[in-house]
This record gives sequence, C-alpha cells and structure tokens, in this order.
Amino acid sequence: MSALLEVDGLTKRFGGLVAVKDIGFSIKGGEILGLIGPNGSGKSTVMKCIMGIEKPNAGTVKLEGINVAGWPTHRIARQGVGIVFQHSRPLQRQTILEHIKLALLPDNLLMLFTDHNVSRRAEEIAARVGLAKVMHRLPRTLPFADLRRLELAKAIARNPKVVLIDEPFAGLTKAEVADFSNLIGSFRAEGHAVLLVDHNVKSVAALVDRALAMYLGEYVADGTAEEVMRNETVRAVYLGGKIETAARPEREGKGRPPLLDVRNVGVLYGKAQALDDVSIHVGEGEFVSVVGLNGAGKTTLFNAISGLVPSSGAVTWKGEAIGGMTPAKIARMGIVQCPETRELFGDMSVRENLDLGGQHLPVAETQRQLQWLFELFPILHSRQGQVARTLSGGEQQMLAIARALMMKPKLLILDEPTLGLAPVILEQLSKALEKLRQTTDITVLLGEQNVTFALPHADRVYVLEHAHIVWEGDPARFAEEAGTGYL
Amino acid sequence: MLALQILIDGFAISSLYALGAAGFALMFGVSGVLNLSHGAIMVVAAVIAWWVGATFGVNPYLGAVAGILAALACAFFTYGVIARPIQNSPAIPKEEKEIFVLTGTLLWGIMLQGAIAYLFTNNPKTVRPLIEGVVMILGVRTPVNEILTAVLSWLVIGLLFLLVNRTRAGKSLLAASMNPRGLTLLGFELSNIYILVWAIYGIVAGIAGVLLGAFLGVSSDNAGTLTASAFSIVVLGGLGSVSGSLMAAYVVGYLETLTAYLVAPSIRTVPVLLLLVIVVYVRPQGLLGRR
Amino acid sequence: MIRSRTFQLVVPALLVLALLPFGVGGYILGLLIPAFYMAVFAMSWDLLFGFAGEVNFGPSFLIGIGAYTAALLNHYYATPIPLCLAAGAFAAVIAGVVLAVPALRLTGPYFGLVTLVAVLMLQNILVLFAGITGGEIGLDLPDVLAISDTTNYYYALVFMTISGAILFGLSRSPVGLILQASGQNAVEAAALGFNVAKHKLAAFCISAFFSGLAGAMLIFYMGTVSVGTVVDIAVGVNVIIAAVLGGRRTIIGAAFGAIFLIGAGELLRPLGQLSTFVVSAVALVVILFFPGGFMGRLLQTGGRE
Repeated sequence: MSALLEVDGLTKRFGGLVAVKDIGFSIKGGEILGLIGPNGSGKSTVMKCIMGIEKPNAGTVKLEGINVAGWPTHRIARQGVGIVFQHSRPLQRQTILEHIKLALLPDNLLMLFTDHNVSRRAEEIAARVGLAKVMHRLPRTLPFADLRRLELAKAIARNPKVVLIDEPFAGLTKAEVADFSNLIGSFRAEGHAVLLVDHNVKSVAALVDRALAMYLGEYVADGTAEEVMRNETVRAVYLGGKIETAARPEREGKGRPPLLDVRNVGVLYGKAQALDDVSIHVGEGEFVSVVGLNGAGKTTLFNAISGLVPSSGAVTWKGEAIGGMTPAKIARMGIVQCPETRELFGDMSVRENLDLGGQHLPVAETQRQLQWLFELFPILHSRQGQVARTLSGGEQQMLAIARALMMKPKLLILDEPTLGLAPVILEQLSKALEKLRQTTDITVLLGEQNVTFALPHADRVYVLEHAHIVWEGDPARFAEEAGTGYL
Repeated sequence: MLALQILIDGFAISSLYALGAAGFALMFGVSGVLNLSHGAIMVVAAVIAWWVGATFGVNPYLGAVAGILAALACAFFTYGVIARPIQNSPAIPKEEKEIFVLTGTLLWGIMLQGAIAYLFTNNPKTVRPLIEGVVMILGVRTPVNEILTAVLSWLVIGLLFLLVNRTRAGKSLLAASMNPRGLTLLGFELSNIYILVWAIYGIVAGIAGVLLGAFLGVSSDNAGTLTASAFSIVVLGGLGSVSGSLMAAYVVGYLETLTAYLVAPSIRTVPVLLLLVIVVYVRPQGLLGRR
Repeated sequence: MIRSRTFQLVVPALLVLALLPFGVGGYILGLLIPAFYMAVFAMSWDLLFGFAGEVNFGPSFLIGIGAYTAALLNHYYATPIPLCLAAGAFAAVIAGVVLAVPALRLTGPYFGLVTLVAVLMLQNILVLFAGITGGEIGLDLPDVLAISDTTNYYYALVFMTISGAILFGLSRSPVGLILQASGQNAVEAAALGFNVAKHKLAAFCISAFFSGLAGAMLIFYMGTVSVGTVVDIAVGVNVIIAAVLGGRRTIIGAAFGAIFLIGAGELLRPLGQLSTFVVSAVALVVILFFPGGFMGRLLQTGGRE
C-alpha cells in the first residue's frame, strides 16, 4: 500500500531558532507512527506544520501524493487530515452530539438547517467512540476521559485519511489508557494512518508500529519501538549518558520527622489527573532527586508544594500544614522554587534580579549573600550589569538559581535546570551544585529528566511516571533496578 | 509670536497629558487593567478641589490635597469593588475577564460622572490656581499657572521615575509589570503590589486632575474625552511602556495644539485619531511597545 | 421547542407587548419604540461578540453609517423611505467589512481600539461637514415612517421581532455553531475544516446589516437625525451594557437588557443626572454578581438537557 502521509525535508525556523530541521517520514494506511521527543525537540512543530497551523520554510507534506505544505489549515483538514489537540476546550452550551455534528458540517455560510443524515451519522460516530450513552449531555458533566473521546470523535468524523494525535494518554488513568489504545488501534484496523506525538516511547510502545525520535529539531533514530528505546543516541538524549552516583552517607536522620512531608497529593488540571496519590518526603540537609520524563508530573508536584496549584492531600513543612497558604507566604517560609521556566525579570539587570531576591533580608546580609553567590557563579559577577534577557541559556539558569539562593532558602526546589543547556554548561552547573552540597547544609529537591545530572548529587531518588511515584531508593540501586526500564 | 504661543501652550498641555498617561500606563503595565474610569477620577479630583476651595474658603493647597484624597478613594474603590472581584471571580472565564473589567470600570466612570453632574451640575469648574499672575515669556503673555502646570507635572513624573527605578518598593512594581509569577516565587504577595500601584495611580490621577482643573477647568462632561485621550496616548506610546506614553503625550499634545491654533479648535482631535489608526495598522505595538 | 425556556419567556412577553397599545398611552409607547430599536442594536452586537468573539467598542459606527446614509438620501434627494432603508443597510454592511478587515489581523485591545476610533472619526467628520450633515444639531427629515404612535409602535415591534427571530435562529443554526467555535478557538475551528476568516466576515456583515437597518428605521421614526442620537459614544456604551446585562451569547437577553435600560433610564428621569448613576450602578451590580446577565440567570437550569 502506498503511503498516505509522506513528509520530506520538513524545515521550520522561528527567527533565528531552527525548530525543525530536515525531518522526513511516511505512514501507510493501517499504520501507526510514534513521533517522540522531549520538550523543545520540535515534535509539536512538525505536527503543526502538517496541519497547516505553521507554514514550513522548506519541505513537502504529501497527502496521498498531493503536497499540502503551506495550505491554510481548513483546506488541509478538508483534504483529509484530522487532529486531536492536547488541550481542547469544548463549547459549554452544546451537547456531545452537537459537537460531533459540528465536525460533520460543510464549510458553508448558508447552512441554516441540519441535514437529517448529519444527525444520524453523528450518532453513529458517538457510538463508535463509546459516547452513545452520554451524547445528549453537556461537556461539563462528563469526566476527562469522555472529553478526550469527544475530541477523537471530532477528528475522525469526516473519515480522514490521516489522524494526528498529540499526547494521546496525558491525564488518563491506566484503565482509560488501555481503552483509548484500543480505540486508536481500531482506526488503524480501518485503514487510517495515525501519527502519535508524545514525550516518550514507553507510553506508546504497545500501540505504535514504528517510532521516530527527535531531539532539538533533528532526526535521532527510527525503527520499531523496541529499537528506538534501545538506541544509544536516544538513551544519551534522555538519560544523559553513563549513570554515575556519589551519594553521601545517609543524611536523613533516622527517627526524626522529615522537613517536607508530602502525602497522597493529587492535582487535577480541569478534569485531567496530573498527579495521583503522590507521597514523598525530604529530610533536613538531604538532596533528593525526582526523575521522570517530560509530562510525568514533576512540575505539577513542585507547583503543588509551592502552593501555585490547588491540590488534594497534605503537604507538611516542619510539622506545619501549608496547604492553603499563598505561594508568596510559602516562599517566605523557606521553600523556594526555581522553576523550569526560570521566570526571570527579563528587562532588569543581573544585579537587579539578585537584589529582588534579597528584598527580605537586611542590607548587610544581602551584601554577604551576593559575595557568596558571585563566588559560586563567577560568570554572574562579571555580567552584573547585563540585562537578563540577553544572557545565554546557561547564564540565565545560573541567575535563576542564584536569585533563589538569595532568599536563603531552607529547601531549594530546582525544576529541570538542565533543559536545553549544552553539556559544557551542565558541567558548570553540576560543579556548582556539588559545591553547594558540600559547603552548606541546604536541603535540595531536584526534578530532572536527565538522569546523569540528577543522580551524582542525590542522597535519594524517586521516579515519577505518568502522575505516580513508581520507585524510590538510593541512587546506586537506581541504575540496576529502574534505569533500564526508564525509557 | 504665534509659533511661540503654540510652543508654550503645547508644552503645558502635553506635560499634563503626560502625567495622566503615565499613571494610566503604570496601572496597565503592572496590573493589566485599562481603567476606563480614569477621566472620571481626574474630574472628581478637580471638582472636589474646587468645591473645598469655594465652600470653605481655604487656601488652594488644602483644596488640592482634598481633591487628591478623593481621587485616591475612588481608585481604591475601583480596585476593591471592581477590578479585584472580577479578576478573582470563578464565574467569569479567563478570556472574558478583560471585557468585564473594562465594562465595570466604564460603568463606574459613568456613575462618577453622573454623581458629579447631579451634585455640582455639569458647568465647568475652575480650581483656583496655586499661584496667580501672569508673566511675559519672550513677548508671550503666559499665566504663571500654566508654567506651574508644566513644572509640577514633570516634578511628579520625575518622582514617579525615581520611585520605580530607585526604591525597593518601586522596583517590585517594575518587576510585577515584567513577571508577576517571578515575584510570587520570591515571596512577594501580589495583592500588596496591586494595592501599592492603585494607590500611586490614585495620587497621580488626582494631581493631574487638580492641575487640569486649575489650568483649563473641568466639567463632568469631560470625563469620557479625558479617558479616551489617555487611552490613545498609551496605545500610541506602546501598551506597557511608560516612557513611550510620555513621548506619545507630547506628540498628541502638540498635534492637538497645532490643529487648534492653525485650523480650528473643534476638530483638534481628528489628526490624533488619524495617527492612531495608522499606528494601529502599521505598528500596533506603538512607538516603544514590546509586544 | 414549546418546552424550551427561551420560548416560554419570549412568547408571553411578545404577546404582552403586542397588546400594550390597547391599554397604555402614547408616553409609554413612545418610550418603548426607541427601546425596540436599541434591542436590535444590542442583539446584533451580541451576535458579533457572543458568537464571533469580536469585541466591538463602537457599535454606533455601524448604526450611524446606516442612519446617516438613509437620512442624507431622504433629506437631499427625497428618496422614498424603503429605498433609504435599503441604502442605509447596504452602506452599513460596507462599513462592517471595513471594520472586519483589521479585526482579522489584530487581537485583543487593539481591535477594540480600532472600533472606538472608527466612531470618534465618524463623529468628527459629521461635525466637520456640518454644512451637509447638520452637525450637532442634525437634519430634519421630510418623511417619517408614520404619524400615529400606535403605527410606529407596531412597525418597531414587528421589526424587532423579525430581526430577533432571524438573529436568534442564526445563533442556534449550524452556521451559528460554526461561528461560536470560530470565536472561541480559531485554530481548532480551522482544524475542523472551517474557514474562520470567511465566517467572521459574514458575522460582521450580518451584525452591520441589522444595526444599520435599525438605525435607519429609528431616525425615520424620530423624523430627525443627529450625532447625539445615533453616533455618540454614549449610544454605543448603552448597546454594550444592554447586551452584557442581558447575557452574552443569548441574543434574546440583549433585547431584554435594552428594554430594561431604556425603561429604567426613563423611569428615573425625574432624578435628573442621578438617573444615569442609578442605572449604571444597577448594571454594575448585575455584572459583578450575575456575570451571566439576566437571561443567563434565568436560563441557567433550563434549555437543553
């Protein structure tokens, strides 16, 4: 069977940044391809280029031989491509059935009455995805999994040749994932071509026929899911290379209550379960790493601790329950987060950013802190007056960490500090963290996808996968037990 | 002679516009609120200053203080009763919060306008100038008050600049306009930041209102036009850029003065509107805006 | 349909309104007639905002173009009323297209500003060319719709009912659904195969048509046209408040909001300037506590289940 979707030489630039470079693949009818990559790999951009949401700078996207690259989205949709977005908001006042009918409507200004056939077909589709019982209900009364089915229904309504699905299983429970998998599998059986876009191979391994891994916009590997998971370059990208550990003697005081105690915390984003019954604890002076792939829930966990998102369960700090306090208060209490997005004050200088971090300290203390931080991160000293926005990625990360340290935190939470940084910078960061660890008794909670970075400093490791903690232990055992199954 | 007159009048009115726009722009930059009751608050300040001066016969400085306090009170009301509840309301979806705040502040502005017209009629009121008298500048008779308006406007703008760039509190405002989340992570309560910015806004709008009242006089009818001018200036200068607003204020002030003197006072807003349309099409981010 | 809440609210209301001239005098009728035209303005605005998602801060731009086109034709060329109305509606549609073009390229407050500027420009131009347009004082029109209050009342009521039915029907039709999807998330709507630009343009044209036509009819009722009655920002503000008060995305709610606003304003007239204060205060309270508006509240549990 010839290919239904053929992508060749696809390239997309945003200003100076090359988001996608020379990507090509083909999918035949009755085949499912998984497009895999961490954050920033360009996989979402590829999907958008296929759908016409972004116009590629070069390359072709052929749908049954016809090149649709550069066409407006609605034309590509009508040509035979359906898409399921990761975050969709359904209209609140229309029933499920009406949503599906919408997907079946022609692009006609004069459609004043619904075709009888349209209604019938909509009901068939609703039944097909398992929504027959609820098709007359409003979206707000339905659970998350049903809303995802609705999105799937809308995407396949006009029987497209190709279906694109972004993060098919995000927010679904294990049981729901199985159901959904079967549903997607049935499209394949009908002869559609399916492209799944996801963070990691493992979650889609059972479903895809083939996988293609991307990193920083470029092709890394392809083959069966197994082959891709075992590919050296892929593992290097995700795990960061050879795993080394250097744990200190067990720092956690036996019998002493932990500094931070997180119990049975759950977080809902709308209806999606982003964290499910997660419990961790951090002892005084410990360095704890939470490893997990993008989308596993690390940021959600940290945001729940910092009070930035509402959560169920209990978070205790030095014995005091902090759920319900404002995030600013939690920060002032000593839990300081350096988030993945860094949240720097872009138009202010390095020095000004640091000063703001030290706002709550008396002036003399601020000076001392600054001195210490300049020793820890010499590059910040030389770039004191430079505007934060113009710093390189690594420098910005160091500034973000330094700024957080200005607050003299009791617990420093670091979320994915290595994201998008070159190996040389990782070295510097690693050294700085090591120095921090050796010379102070600061407590650190680190969240990382890059296991090679996360392990050497850690006293203990948690593995977070798909909203659950699946492993806990010391770093030495990680390599043996969890490392291989990590991807 | 005419050129000099235009230069002086234009400068004075532009300075006043600049002051009003600076407050408006600061408010938008830090809290994201386009306060459509801006003009009404300025009118309240001017009218209260006039009323206190006329009724109690006190010296104009006290009247001015009363006016400024009135503006401050109105600003806090706008924040506490309209802007904050709407921002926090779970019943309003996120994309619609902006239009609700706009409509809410619009209604509040109309309420203030109606109240003033009811209590004091809509006849123009002039606040007694802080310093009376006339001077000659290079052959042009200029009221001292006019010079005072320009000087005081710039004094306040200067203080504002110092506050925002040199003090700790001010820097936190600046940071809030760049990244409110970053501030929260550093332990700053955003609600305190917002109270501070509304307080500063109330005082600045109050001063601008009193100065306007002394310079040109105000009536409740002016409320809408004042808001429209501030809005236009801020968009022209670039939403979120206070320095852009200052520049734009001068462009608008001079354009209006030139038109009023050289063509006709009744259509002095037309060239400004044309400019606005061109800017929105060609360079929507304004002169110095970033987004 | 008989069981739909909207139906249950609207039909009795219409019946009452239809029978009103038999019971009340010219004063109340004279009050309701402009209210009915205002209702059409507000309903057209709701179609654009509630469905296409475009905030128009200057609806009086479209209304004014429609009204003045009709007025000028009638005043200077003694064109018969039906032709004036048609010309007014047509001119308003052109104006709607003019407004739509930037709308499709600008977002957020910038588009709102364009609409605001459009009104101010129109106002200034009309005043500038006062020789032709009558400026602030306005023009007298040789023709009027009718002399008797009752006839005018029925013209207005029927017009409002038909316009309302069409606009409401559109909002509930498949086209309305597409429009709503386009307004909420243009990318997702496009991914379903809809040319969002085309649909939004259509929404502008429809909104403009009804606004312009209603504006033209209004001035032929009043017998004069002036800047203050059809172009002023205040007119636009009332339209927006009426629509938001009545409930976004309900179309019918806008009509209720308009009638309430005009009625309340009139009832409170003895209070003088305080009347605007009170009406605005009430509107503010409604917005803060019932963001869904009158209709939103009433339709909360009803409708589709």
